[in-house]
Formats: sequence, C-alpha cells, structure tokens
Amino acid sequence: MSSRILEQAALLGSRKSLVGVVTSPVQGSRVNLPAVVILNAGIVHRTGPNRMSVLLARALASAGTPVLRFDLSGIGDSEPRADSLPPLDSSLADIREAMDWMESTRRTRRVVLIGLCSGADHIAVYGGSDPRVVGAVLIDPSMPRTTGFYLRHYGRRLLRLRSWFTLVGRLKSDFRKDKPAVAPDTPTPDDPLPSLDDPAVRGYLGARYQSAVDNGVRMLTVLTGGRENLHNYPNQLVDAFPNVSFGDSLRVEYFGDADHTFDAEDERTRLIDLIVEWTLQTEFAGESARADGQSA
Amino acid sequence: VNPFYFGTPQRRLFGVYTPARKAGGSPRAAVLCYPWGQEYIRAHRSMRLLGNMLATAGVHVLRFDYFGTGDSGGDGTDGGLKSWCGDIETAMDELMDTSGAGKVALVGLRLGATLAADVASRRKREVSALVLWDPVLSGQQYLDELMQTVSMRPSGPVPPTPRRDKSGGGHEVLGFPLTRTLADELRGLSLSSLIPAAPARTLVLLSAEDRPSSADLRAALQDRAESSEMVERIVSQPAWLEDRNSGAGAVPVRMLQRIVQWFG
Repeated sequence: MSSRILEQAALLGSRKSLVGVVTSPVQGSRVNLPAVVILNAGIVHRTGPNRMSVLLARALASAGTPVLRFDLSGIGDSEPRADSLPPLDSSLADIREAMDWMESTRRTRRVVLIGLCSGADHIAVYGGSDPRVVGAVLIDPSMPRTTGFYLRHYGRRLLRLRSWFTLVGRLKSDFRKDKPAVAPDTPTPDDPLPSLDDPAVRGYLGARYQSAVDNGVRMLTVLTGGRENLHNYPNQLVDAFPNVSFGDSLRVEYFGDADHTFDAEDERTRLIDLIVEWTLQTEFAGESARADGQSA
Repeated sequence: VNPFYFGTPQRRLFGVYTPARKAGGSPRAAVLCYPWGQEYIRAHRSMRLLGNMLATAGVHVLRFDYFGTGDSGGDGTDGGLKSWCGDIETAMDELMDTSGAGKVALVGLRLGATLAADVASRRKREVSALVLWDPVLSGQQYLDELMQTVSMRPSGPVPPTPRRDKSGGGHEVLGFPLTRTLADELRGLSLSSLIPAAPARTLVLLSAEDRPSSADLRAALQDRAESSEMVERIVSQPAWLEDRNSGAGAVPVRMLQRIVQWFG
C-alpha cells in the first residue's frame, strides 16, 4: 500500500451504526477534486467483490481525493436501522447520512458516488436528489431492455450454428406436440428485474436520471459483457430512456470481456484506471468556485 | 461494534471489536479467524453474526483481516501463511490488552481454522480453546479444489489464468492472487500434524460429508483421550460457498448456535 495514503475506520450515521473506512491522501486533497463515496455491491461488504473497492479507494486517494467506503444498514458490519423504513428508503437515508458525514468531517460539499450493480441502482435513484452529488460512476446499472438489445440478443444467437440446430430441433418437437415454436435462448421469465419493463418503473427511473442531468451530475457508466442477458450494447441506457437529455453529461464504456464482478485482474485494473482518469479529467459542477475548503 | 486499525505502521490490520454484552466472572475472549479469498467475502456475514452471538453470550470478540486482505493494509500479493499466523498472534495480544482477558479462544473457518491451529500449537499458554470450523485439512487438497473450481466453466474446463512473475506469479483464483509463494506454503500445510499440540479444549465442526482427508484428521485425533468429543458434523449449508448467486454465503444458524453453546 502506498505511504501517500492513510486508511481510517469510521462509525457514521445518525446512530453511529454505519461502519466505513475512509482512505485519504496524506499530503491533503487536491483542491478541485470532489470526494468519493463507494457503495455496497449487493450484500457484499464494503471491501467489494474481489476487494475491488479497497483497490479503487486507494487509487483515487493516491490521485488526491478522500474516499469513503461504507456498509449500508444491515450489510457487512453495519447494524440494521432502528426505524421501519422500507429497504430502498433505508439505503437512500444511509447514503445521505454518509454524505453528511463526509461534509462535516472532510469539509467537502461535492461528492462522486460509485456503485456496482445494486450500488449503481441506488445512485441512479439518489444522484439527482442531492445537490452535493456532482458525479456518478454506475457499473452495470439496471436498465430496461430495448429493441436494440433484442436485435443483438437474437442476432448473435442466430449466427451460431448450434442455435440453428436447437431451433430446428425445437420446431420439430413442437410440431409433434402441436405447440407454438420457441425462439432459441429466449430471456427467461425469472430473469432478474422484470419490472424494469413496467412503464411506471421506466418512467420513474427516467425521471431520476433527468434530475441528475438537470443538477449537472456527470456520469460514467460501465457495462460488462457479464451482464449481456440484461444489457448488450453501449447505447442501451440512452435508448432505454429516450426522454432523458443525457447530452455530454454521460460517458459509456463497454467492457465486453469482463464479468459482472471483474474477477480478472487485468479487467479490474483497467476499470480502476478508467475511473481514476475520468475523475481527474472531468470538469464537475462547482469546480471553479473552489467551494470545498479542501486543503491543497 | 468498534472498528479500528491495530498492529504496526508497516503492518496495519483492520479489526472489529465487539465487547461482551454480559459481565460476570473473569473476562472471556475470542479471536475469529477468517478464511481466504472468495471464501472470506462469502463468510463475512456469518462471522459477523457469530461475533455478535458470542458477545451476547458474554465473550469479548475480535474479528480481523489478515495483512493484504479485506480492509487491512497491504496488497493481495503480500499474503503468506507464516505472516498471517503472526497477524493472529498480534490480534490475540490486542484482544487480551483490550478486554483484560488472560487467555483467548481461537475460532477459525476454513484456512483460518488451520492457521488458528498452528498458532494454538505455539501459544499454548494463551490459547484457552480452539474451534476448527470446516478446516482446511490438507493444503495440497485445498489447492487442488481451488484450481478445479476456477477451471469449471459452463463452456467446459478452462485452465486458471497465470499471473505475471513480476507480480508474484502463480494464478488468479476467483478474483484473488494465489502467488507462487503462497501456493508453495499451502502445499506444506497439514492440519493432522498440528492436532497433537492442539489445546485440550478443541472442537472440530464439519458442515459437509466426510472427505478422504478427514480420515487423517480422525487418525490424528485417536491419540487424544477426548477425541470422541472433538468432532461434530452439523449438516448445514457451508458459510463459505456462494448462496444463490449473491456473492455472499448462507448463514448456517445451527452451526453458529453450536459454537456459542460450546463456549458455555
């Protein structure tokens, strides 16, 4: 680990029940860089899949910005909340409390949120609701399937000779049973998040993305080939929400060879390098005002 | 809970201390020793719950990450069995200092169990009891299983990805670097050789079917008067295997309850 950074344990939140680790540059933060908060991926604790969040936090802190990794209530080492908030509201309240903690202890009013999978979904919902969020890194966020998705999904399979044999076999079988034919490799009904096709859910998510865009949140979205049953081309997020004016606030990178949790060391390193580069090169809202009070 | 860093500036270790929630008599304390790699990620929530249950039963508990793992300092390539045993000893000293206990129990899962047995064989005066939960019985067998798991793909067997020599060599194993040095150390690991020096109060808990190497363990236990009471099989979902594609393991409540009950 670099001697240029320092890792400290923290208890945060209104009840001091959220466990986190803050990684800071020893020499002080770079003036214009926002702080970073990394969220849980699913129910994996704050080190992240394959310890990826630890490595990412260290890389970002080495580049000059403080990074908080923390466990949402009931995940990792954090206690469940005492109130009876529903799960999503509970997570959003935790994120707000983590932002409050960063503001009070690190005197930073600008934050980039980073999340993988459910972490990305939390950011998509939360990002536009808090003016302190100036950047968002969404890794494999949930998004509705689009016409473009289905064209690629079936197109790739129809190009595989084996799929033709499967299809012919099924057609024969179905003919004998007098049942309608089934296309090869149809996404199964028990695929996760089927409700994303619900117009109400799509409308809600679209509105949340638009709020983030309206607030000047810069977004980096990373999609992996490991989720190709859910998204399979870089522009799917834009196509899925045609009413959202992403414009140049959104950058999308497609990691076709990476699995969902970046098990391969080379892919993990490439992802971390990308996020650091994007954080350093992006012009975030409030940058020229230098309102953070961070030390140089 | 109290999360904190301890150790030395060169070897900072992350731990979570959970003080006993029930006072009475002389303080009792336990260090929980995690597994390695993906098994560590998956078992984290079971170990956290076990720590809370032990604390409720009146035991001061310290869970901690070995150097180069979890939240502790160091890179993934810094790991080694000998140095991790040293980390367990550092954690023991920290817990005794914090809790006032004169002795500690060691509770280890998978590779953590085998490391705990190694430490217990050398720190007999300070280790009051030892719980070996699904221990790695043979380092070579453990390596073989890891490699076999890595190579299993829906499309057929794929050899594990080799790592560059300048980064420690070895292979990538389910997202973690299994360096050549660590693999060499693992090949020499044998739990049965440590059993003769284990504390009188030792419990071996197995959640799966007996394996061939379990015979070696049972043979090693034959020489001990209390051998019949030492090994228990509690059929449960292993905490260190992924549960329903969640990235985390199941929480085998019966196993945790048995450990707490055994502490008395």
